[in-house]
Amino acid sequence: MSTTSAARALDSRTPSSSPAVASRRRRPDRGVWIYVLPVSAVFLFVFVGPLIYTAWTALHETNFYAIGEFSGLTSFTELFADPNLPKQIGTTLAFSLGALVIALPAGLLSATVLNSLHRFKRTVRGLFLLPWLMSQATAGVIWLWFLNPNFGPVTAITTSLGMGPTDVFSSPTSALVGVTLITAWWSYPQAMLLFLGALQTIPGELRESLKMDGGGVWRGFISITLPYLRNTIVSVVIVLLMLYVQMVTIILVTTRGGPLGATETLSMRVFNQTFNDFDLSGASATAILLFAVNVVLTLVAIRFRRKESL
Amino acid sequence: MITKRWSYATAVAAATAVVLAGCSASSSSEPSASDGPVTLTYWDFLDPSQDNPRSNALEENIANFEAANPDITIDLSVVSLGDMLNRLPQSAAAGQAPDVFKMFTPTVPQMAAAGAYSPLPEAASEITDWLRPPSNLVGPDGQQVAVPYEYRTCAFYYNQKILDQIGAEVPTTYEDVVDVAGKAGAAGFTGFGTGFSDTDNSAIISTFFDCFMSQVGEPIWNDDGEAEFAGTAADEFGQILADLRDSGGLGTSVVSDSYSTVTDGLTNGTVAMAVLGSERVITLTGANPDIKWGPLPEPTSGGTTGATLGWTLGIGAGTDHTDAAWKFIEYMTGAEAGAVMATGGEIPTRASTYDAEYFSTPEAETVKTVADYVESNSEPHTYSDDWIGVASGLSAAGQSLYLNKTSGSEFITAAQDAINE
Repeated sequence: MSTTSAARALDSRTPSSSPAVASRRRRPDRGVWIYVLPVSAVFLFVFVGPLIYTAWTALHETNFYAIGEFSGLTSFTELFADPNLPKQIGTTLAFSLGALVIALPAGLLSATVLNSLHRFKRTVRGLFLLPWLMSQATAGVIWLWFLNPNFGPVTAITTSLGMGPTDVFSSPTSALVGVTLITAWWSYPQAMLLFLGALQTIPGELRESLKMDGGGVWRGFISITLPYLRNTIVSVVIVLLMLYVQMVTIILVTTRGGPLGATETLSMRVFNQTFNDFDLSGASATAILLFAVNVVLTLVAIRFRRKESL
Repeated sequence: MITKRWSYATAVAAATAVVLAGCSASSSSEPSASDGPVTLTYWDFLDPSQDNPRSNALEENIANFEAANPDITIDLSVVSLGDMLNRLPQSAAAGQAPDVFKMFTPTVPQMAAAGAYSPLPEAASEITDWLRPPSNLVGPDGQQVAVPYEYRTCAFYYNQKILDQIGAEVPTTYEDVVDVAGKAGAAGFTGFGTGFSDTDNSAIISTFFDCFMSQVGEPIWNDDGEAEFAGTAADEFGQILADLRDSGGLGTSVVSDSYSTVTDGLTNGTVAMAVLGSERVITLTGANPDIKWGPLPEPTSGGTTGATLGWTLGIGAGTDHTDAAWKFIEYMTGAEAGAVMATGGEIPTRASTYDAEYFSTPEAETVKTVADYVESNSEPHTYSDDWIGVASGLSAAGQSLYLNKTSGSEFITAAQDAINE
């Protein structure tokens, strides 16, 4: 058999050369759409649709929840001309980063404690998870009562120590610190669970080798734990930042953005514009800005993860 | 091949149908009132499952109505006022407003402007024995959209024990209130309980302001619906608050205090005086025998007549059951239901109700006293369609007054500007 005829014979056996076989190969590809279409439809319905509707609303005048005349970029112009906006962006960043700085190490520390426990593991895990098991509204109300300056338990303690009543929500700075701490307290178990999952994937042999080499707890944390957790830390940062930037309930229950707008984050601004001012167009413009902030934060984090994996 | 294509098409169609089914508004298959049994959706802030006199009275009234009207069932949803203010405009825009709902007097025009109401039927105009005229319960076209269900106005509450302890007489003017509050503050009490928190829709400061404006006879809005009260007798309101602050008569947590923290303070004996709604008379005097109440202190110019407030009932926009809804409202504001609601401490709104046997019993004495007080010490006035803005503006200005030490006139101007913003 010559080279040419052999090649031809081989070619005739190659499935791709046959139209019928090629058609058979395409058919399973087409079947994929059965799975893709419903997912795409739901994605369009619950994400793209509302996003377009929000942008559409921001470009129109509104009267309560009725959309009126096309108004162009008026809502965006008013948004960026609002002298309160820079302060609200600053509050959003201070609140989000502040809560993150507390919840991240608290989650890591509690996960490390849980991972090294050999007895009462379930009980301690349940105790650590307690804040997260409550709804945000319940957590807010509990702290509101706990810190009540007239009859709250904290006031009773501080008064008996001669320090006077606690008055957390009556001054701008302490109110912002208060809602930040409450939010960090409520959300740290979420970080703890993610860290705990990652800690349990670290091979035990590594720690044993370290022990044999005379490495201590701190060396183990720096040389083994942290490198293994790097990607998880990035994931936790993304998850928590998204949560904090969009947080409404705890702020709504405790301060509603006050006093003097000190705890009015961008999310609270959206809430107040929608339900206090019934300014749906303005709220939509703010929501688009909030969405942009979220997209930027996510892209930064994704870029960081890619670098990590290289 | 054809079978497989059909199976793909069927699967895609089914998935699309599932998604579209989620999109479509639920259509009611319920017959109209004239066709037979009707279920009325009713939003109220009272929870009948709770064991307190007002909730028990509501539960009894609904049960009595259903027994008397076996073809009408009441489907009660418990919705707080704050939630109702948020949800009513949304549900009305979506064509899903409740058939009947309760609403606080000052926010009726705002909810009417949001399209939450259906006009009342002609039969509503046949009721003429309201204790106070319902002419302020109207929509943007001036048509009545709600009827009074319960009355209240502002009253002056004070703790006699604290006043005796500091050697003070019961104040009769706001000037006296400032003096006594300063003394009570110096003795370690909250001299005058009020609050600038926005967490409960600024209920306490807005109610106080509403009544004060009635006392001095000043309107809050001009003919164009703009807030315009700065530079009038309203300035005294800001001055009173500034004087209370300067005398040490306000609580240190006034910025974050709300209606409930002040009532709790009165009950616990930590607050010496407060201006609150008359609906608290029975609960506060029952909880703490040292609490007394009386007419509002007099301003420099004006009297003791506050605003007539209270809960109202109206028919939701787009209801298919107007007749049944009105039948329910007529019953709930009528003599039979009024006598039951009075056992829960609420003040019925129709004169004919007070002919019921219950009102000749000793148990009804307090309710009758408060009803007489509301009738003689309050007047209804019109509201614009932005009461929530008024309330928020007042609390923001109040926070600034206390934290930034602004003056009384600056408080009034800031409140007015915030409302008009």
